[in-house]
Amino acid sequence: MTTGDVAIRVKDVSHQFGEPGDAFHVTALQKTSLDIQRGELLCLIGPSGCGKSTLLNMIGGLLAPTSGTVEVGSKPVRGPLPRDIAFVFQENALFPWCSVIENVKLGMMFQGAPKAEQEDRARKALEAVGLKDFMAHYPAQLSGGMRQRAALARALSLETEILLMDEPFGALDEQTRMILGEDLSVLLSSTDKTIVFVTHSLGEAVFLADRVAVFSARPGSIKEIISIDEPHPRKPGFVTTEKFSQLRNTLYGLLHEEIRKAVAQTVMAGPLT
Amino acid sequence: MNGALTFRDLRVFMLRRAWLARLLVIAALFLLWEAAARWWVDPIFLSPPSRVLTSLNEVFETGGVPGALRITFWELAVAFSISVVIGLVVGLAVGLSRFSHRSFMPIILLLYGTPQITILPLFILYFGIGPASKVAFGVSHGIFPIIVTTVAGVQNIKPILMTAARSMGASRWQLFRWVIFPHMIPSFFSGMRLGMTGVLLGVLLAELYVSTAGIGYFTTMFTQNFDPTKLLGLISILAAMAIALNEIVRRAEVYFGRWRTD
Amino acid sequence: MSARRDRRDKLASRAVQAGFVVVLVALWYFGTTRWGVSHLLLPNPVKVWEELKDVLASGDYIPDLTITLSEVATAFVLSCTSGVIVGYVISRSQYAIRVFEPLLAGIYSVPIILFLPLYILFFGLGPASKIAIGTTISFFPIVLNTIAGFGYVEKIFITAARSMGASNYQMFRYVLLPAALPVILTGLRIGFTVALLSILGSETIASLAGLGHKIVHLAEAMETARMFAYIAFAVVIAAVLNMIVTSLEARAKRQ
Repeated sequence: MTTGDVAIRVKDVSHQFGEPGDAFHVTALQKTSLDIQRGELLCLIGPSGCGKSTLLNMIGGLLAPTSGTVEVGSKPVRGPLPRDIAFVFQENALFPWCSVIENVKLGMMFQGAPKAEQEDRARKALEAVGLKDFMAHYPAQLSGGMRQRAALARALSLETEILLMDEPFGALDEQTRMILGEDLSVLLSSTDKTIVFVTHSLGEAVFLADRVAVFSARPGSIKEIISIDEPHPRKPGFVTTEKFSQLRNTLYGLLHEEIRKAVAQTVMAGPLT
Repeated sequence: MNGALTFRDLRVFMLRRAWLARLLVIAALFLLWEAAARWWVDPIFLSPPSRVLTSLNEVFETGGVPGALRITFWELAVAFSISVVIGLVVGLAVGLSRFSHRSFMPIILLLYGTPQITILPLFILYFGIGPASKVAFGVSHGIFPIIVTTVAGVQNIKPILMTAARSMGASRWQLFRWVIFPHMIPSFFSGMRLGMTGVLLGVLLAELYVSTAGIGYFTTMFTQNFDPTKLLGLISILAAMAIALNEIVRRAEVYFGRWRTD
Repeated sequence: MSARRDRRDKLASRAVQAGFVVVLVALWYFGTTRWGVSHLLLPNPVKVWEELKDVLASGDYIPDLTITLSEVATAFVLSCTSGVIVGYVISRSQYAIRVFEPLLAGIYSVPIILFLPLYILFFGLGPASKIAIGTTISFFPIVLNTIAGFGYVEKIFITAARSMGASNYQMFRYVLLPAALPVILTGLRIGFTVALLSILGSETIASLAGLGHKIVHLAEAMETARMFAYIAFAVVIAAVLNMIVTSLEARAKRQ
C-alpha cells in the first residue's frame, strides 16, 4: 500500500474529555490507527459512546486529538478544512432562517467558492438529491428525510474530496432511511469521493460501505475491519442476498458483545450519562 | 335545501367564526356599559360610551390636550428608540462573551426584578417634570426585556449550527453575520414587543404621576371636576395609541419570526 | 473547557460583580462628600443608612406597610378567586377559549394603569381604588394561565384516564388538576408580582397612605435621605415577597 492511495491517515489517536481527576473525565478513543483509501466508503460502527463521532470530528478538524496525529492528504489536520472536507451531521444542521437553496449557497460562501458559480452549483446539487422543486422552501416546511437530503446537497455543493457523514439518517424512520440509503449509493458511485460514514445500523453499513470498521466499547478503538466486496451502485436486491445476511451476521457477532459492555458501563455510571 | 335558516345552520355558522362571537362579546360589554351609565350609575362617575365618542372633539378642544398628547407620543417614540438601541448593544455585548454574560447578567436580572416604580419620584427629582423624566422612566422599563431577550437569542443557538458553519469554513465575522445575528432576530423582536409594553407602562406612569403638567394634569383635572366624559375620552385616546403601537411591534415580530415554525 | 478553568472564570466573574457594586457605592460616597453633589439630589449613603436604621427602629414604617400589604393581599385574593374560576369555566370549551382568550390577551396588552384616574373617580383616593386596580391588573395573567393550564392538557392523558374508567371527579382530581397546576401556579406568581407593582404604582400616583405614598410624600418634603431609606425598604420588601411567592410556587410544583 503506497502513501499516494491514502486519503486520510489516523495514527495512534487518543481523545479524552476533561482532565485526569475531573468528575467527567472520559477516554473516548484509545490509541486508534486507521488508513482510509482515496475513493473508498468506510463505515464506522460501534456501541454508543465508543468514539466514532469523536474520530470523525477529529478527521474534520472540529476537535483536536489529545495525542496522536490525523493527516489529510499527508498534511496534519489543525482545524477545519472546508476546501477538502464537507460534513453531514445527524441532527438537522440546516439554518432555519434560510431557504433550502440559501442554505446551500451560504455553505459555499463560508467556504469561499467563487460567487458566480454558487447559484449554478447549488441548483445542480439540489437536483442531484431530488429537491429541485423545494429550493425555496424553509427547512421547517420539509420532512426529516428531505432536510437530510438538503444537508447532503449542501455538502456535495462544496465539491470536496472528502465527505464525513455522522449518522446522517439516525433520526429518520426505517423506510425513509432505506430509500435514502439506496439513493445515496447511486449518487456516490458516480463520484470519486472518499467517504467516512458513522452509523448505528448494521444493514446500512453493509449496504453502503467498501469497508466497515467495528469499534469496541469505551475506551473505544477499532476491533476489526470487514471488507464488503460488492460493486457500486448497490442494487436494492442486495439486501435479500445470502451474502448480505452473512456479512450482517458477522457484524452482529462482533458488535453484540461490545454493546453489552457499553450498556453495562452506562448502567453503572447512572442514568444521566 | 329549502334555503331557510335553521338554528343548526346558525350554530355551525357561529362555531366556524370565533372572531364574530368575540365581536359580539365586545358589543355586549359596550351595551352593558351604555345601560349602566344611562340608568344605574350616577353621571358624575360614569358616562356612556356613546357620549364619550360624540364628545371626543371636546377633549381635543380643551386647551393644551392636543399638545400633551403629541408630547406623550414623542416621549413613547424616543423612549422606545433609546431602549431598542441600547438594549441591543448591551444585549450583544453581554450575550456574545461567556465571561461578560456570567459577570453582568446577574446584575441585569437583579435590576430588572426591582420594582422601579418606587424610584419614580427620583426620576422627577433628577430630570424635572418635563419630557426628559418620562423618557428616562420609559427607558428604565423598556430596556431590560430587550437586553434579556437579545441575550437569550444569542445564547439559545443550537451548537450544531455553529459547528456546521465552522466546518464549512465560516470566519468569526461570518459566524456572527450569518448564524448568530439571524438566529437572534426573532427573539429580538419579541423583546421589542415586551419593550414596547414596558415603555408604555413607564411613560404613562410618569405622565400620570406628574399632576402639574402633561397628561397627568388633565386626568387629575377631569377627575377633580367629576367630568367622566372627558376623562374617558382622554383615556380612550391614549389606549388607542397604546394599542396601535403594540400592534405595529407585534406584526413586526410575527413577520421576522416566520421561519420559527419548528 | 476544563473544570479548573471554569472555576477560575467563575471567581473572576464574582470579582467583577463585587467590583461593580464597590465602584457604585464609592462613586455615591465620594460624590456626596467630596465632589459636592447636592444632598437634596443625592444624600450621603451613611446618612441613608442611619435613616434606614431609624425607620426600622422607630416602627415608623408599620402603618404604611400594613396598608400596602393589606391592599395587596385583598387584591390578590380577589383576582385569584375570580381569575381561576373564570379561567376554568372558559377552558371547558375549545370554542370559548377561541372566543375569549385573544380578547383577554388583547386587553392585557393595554397598559391598564391608564384607567387609574377612572378608578380614583369611582373609588376615591383611599385603599379601595388601589385594591380595584390591583385586582384588575392581576386578574389577567391568572385567568390567561388558568385557561392555558386547563385548556391544553394533553389529549392522550384524558384518553388514557377515560379508557381506565375515570369518573368526572377522578378526571379532574387526578388528571386535569395536576396537569394544569404548574401553569396556573406560574400565573398566580405573575399575578402577585403585578398586583404588588400596580398597587405601589397607584399609591405613588394618587393616594393617602401606603409605602408608595410615603416615598412621594418624602420626595415632596425634600427629605431625600429618608426617601432613599424608604425606597431601599420598599425594594427589600418587594424582593422578599417575590422570593416567598417564588419558593412557594417551586415547592407546590414539586409535589
